[in-house]
Amino acid sequence: MNTRKLAFLIILAALCLALQIIPRPPNVEFTSFFTFVIGLTEGAIVGAFFGSFVMLINGFLSPWGFGGLNIPFQVAGMIIAGVLGGVYKRFTGDISFSARFSLETAVLGAFIALTYDLITNLGFSLQLILTGEDASLAFLTAISYGSFFSLIHILSNSAVFGVLYLPVTNALNSLKVGELPWSKKERLYS
Amino acid sequence: MVEKRTFVFLILATIVWAFLASAFAGYYYLQYRNNTEQLDAAQNSLNKFASNYSQAANKYDLLLSEYASLHGNYSYFIGSNYAPLMLPLRSLIANLDKNYTSLFAQEDMNQSYNQLLSDYAALLQKGNVTREDFGSLLSEYYDLFNLSALRELGLLISQATALSVNVVIDYGNGTLEWHNQTKVTAGYTLFRLTQENAVIKSSYFAYMEPGHIRIDSINGKATIVNYTNPSYSWGYSWIWYYWNDSEQKWVSGPVGCDAWLLKNGGVYKWNYEYWHFP
Repeated sequence: MNTRKLAFLIILAALCLALQIIPRPPNVEFTSFFTFVIGLTEGAIVGAFFGSFVMLINGFLSPWGFGGLNIPFQVAGMIIAGVLGGVYKRFTGDISFSARFSLETAVLGAFIALTYDLITNLGFSLQLILTGEDASLAFLTAISYGSFFSLIHILSNSAVFGVLYLPVTNALNSLKVGELPWSKKERLYS
Repeated sequence: MVEKRTFVFLILATIVWAFLASAFAGYYYLQYRNNTEQLDAAQNSLNKFASNYSQAANKYDLLLSEYASLHGNYSYFIGSNYAPLMLPLRSLIANLDKNYTSLFAQEDMNQSYNQLLSDYAALLQKGNVTREDFGSLLSEYYDLFNLSALRELGLLISQATALSVNVVIDYGNGTLEWHNQTKVTAGYTLFRLTQENAVIKSSYFAYMEPGHIRIDSINGKATIVNYTNPSYSWGYSWIWYYWNDSEQKWVSGPVGCDAWLLKNGGVYKWNYEYWHFP
């Protein structure tokens, strides 16, 4: 990975963290979208790394408080978003830019939110188990009482993925095209 | 023919929908279960309360019948020495003790009960029991009997509900000590509340009523009484107040602190204040 790409990823990570910190309705987030896009453009491994990095830091800086035991689960949830981005790239072949793909990414956004919530609810139920709750009831309780938040997360993620997919991938594509002469120079001087 | 790709996304969307629907169903199921459990607990508590109330009412009626019988004998007694009625009164007192044993463990109730016993013993020793003396002792018994029944009902109610009260201790030097949202059972008196929230010393006055207790010190701050000059006395005493919600002001306690029953949400104050007479 060259320096320019690394700098770009760091800027996006900083953007995600800033968005995580600013006041917003609960469970409305943009990190999974950016993680998915990074997975889509840079591959599953880079996407997974990006998502886990952002969530790891977010676990300590989140305005909702220290993530604690849930941090590994949040990290795992976001890794899946990055991996799904990479998988979607293979599934799609080439990244295309049409309204149809917006619809598909809206569904994927909902699915990523669902997976993320399932995993983090598993983490929450683990905390309940540690406080003495029955294991099966703990998971059911975590999922059931989190259903309103899941609904918000799924709907907002669908909207974010559906609306932002085209403009962001277009912008990234332009950036890549513009990057080409710089990349050549970089190689020239290296 | 549906394209395979579309089919995959339709399945993904269905999974999301199915999960959400199941989660909401689970949520409503858990809520329903919790509500049912709470309702059952409330119903059990009410049933228990009703059953205990019946027992308490039976006990009260029986003791009241015994009292009414003795009171009838006293009212229509022929003669000047009422000593023959002392034995039935002793039996009445013994029955009272047997039925309200647990209540007499409370300090103020215990003091009232011991006072009754000692008054009884003193009258018995006199030999000649006048109508007035016996009437006074019978009234003392009746007061304690009613107070015991009231306290027991309060305890029964407390099995179904708890009260939340606030008390402030004003030391008179600008220091206010608040004890907020203190949970107590129904039938609690201000005396018991103070006992539980501070270290107190108190005195028992048999002839002061309603309520026989006077607070002598709270958390080491003792009352001061100066009677050295016969024409002018002064001192510092612990006076209690309750907050009148409708008038929005503190009202001085009209009875002894051991006779005042606390109400839910009530606010009470102990004030260390100066007084003089005249």
